[in-house]
Amino acid sequence: MKKEQRSRLADIFTTFLKFGCFTFGGGWSIVAQIQKEYVEKKHWITDEELLDFTSVGRSLPGLMIGNASVLFGHHTAGIPGALLALLGIVLPPFVIMIGVTFVYGLVKDNPYVANAMMGVRAAVVPIIISAMLKLFKAGMKDLFCYLIALGALALCLFTNISNVLIVVLGAAAGLIYMEVKERHAVS
Amino acid sequence: MLYLELFLSFVMIGFTSFGGMSMIPLINDQMLSHGWMTSQEVADIVAIAEMTPGPLGLNCATFAGMRTGGVLGAAAASIGVLLPSLTVCILAAIFLERFKESRFMGNAMFGIRPVCIGMIAAVVIQQSMVNYAGSFLFGISWQAVVIGGVASVLLMVLKWSVPKTILVSAALGLLLGPII
Repeated sequence: MKKEQRSRLADIFTTFLKFGCFTFGGGWSIVAQIQKEYVEKKHWITDEELLDFTSVGRSLPGLMIGNASVLFGHHTAGIPGALLALLGIVLPPFVIMIGVTFVYGLVKDNPYVANAMMGVRAAVVPIIISAMLKLFKAGMKDLFCYLIALGALALCLFTNISNVLIVVLGAAAGLIYMEVKERHAVS
Repeated sequence: MLYLELFLSFVMIGFTSFGGMSMIPLINDQMLSHGWMTSQEVADIVAIAEMTPGPLGLNCATFAGMRTGGVLGAAAASIGVLLPSLTVCILAAIFLERFKESRFMGNAMFGIRPVCIGMIAAVVIQQSMVNYAGSFLFGISWQAVVIGGVASVLLMVLKWSVPKTILVSAALGLLLGPII
């Protein structure tokens, strides 16, 4: 294994280990963390690619954050990268949860824990918003994209349609729209 | 054999669900039918999963595994729930990588990216309705709103990292929580 690949794998594992300690709020904060660390700071991926990992990860079976980690890891360092990113992201919650099972009774109705968690939950929304704002330009290339985004938002909020179907609908809309646009440009 | 049963049960949960709250009914069914947890315990674990980092499915797998088969049980259940990521998702990653330059894929992604923005916006709205709920005016919690405001400034104005912001928010929760 080349030295560069080795240091890349070590970087992925240790960084995802850190991400894993702070994946509150259904794991969506991982998008914000990857954006900050690997788009802004290290320039390993683009905002567009992060959007792709998130939407594909969300539409495959299983845990979104596990899937997004695998897609990121594979893209940046192949199968070993995928496995190490997944291991890194799941190890902290796994260990913490094992600890929690022993002190389950203490944690369950503890007012200090409840207050600290009220604070953490209050931070989750700004964290997700900050990720969304940064990804906004990458996702919204023209007016049609706003229509798709609003449609997806409405389907998520007001119907029980699964996320898979919403992503498939988005893909179909993109294919049809681009096809029409290209034909229009040719004629 | 218990470990195999735990593993298979969470493989089923993993492959038939798509993350988040959609997993709860499936987890509930599996836990009750095997007699591994009561419905009260499933409800408790959902609350605890909210308090600990990590996705709900993984938290449940670890907890149910620990309860029934110790650390090995927890590992068997967790690997089970992660199996879709290790199989389907790796195949999808290879597929994406191979076709990422294709025009077809580019056009599909043109439509998928805004969907992702829409889905994130939906999460923001849904989480806001839960996370800022309280007993103050109009059914909101003033502490949560204040902490949300502080976290916004830390993240978006001062460009703090997510972990630091979460730690400060937890500390603020401890400080402000006891005030009525």
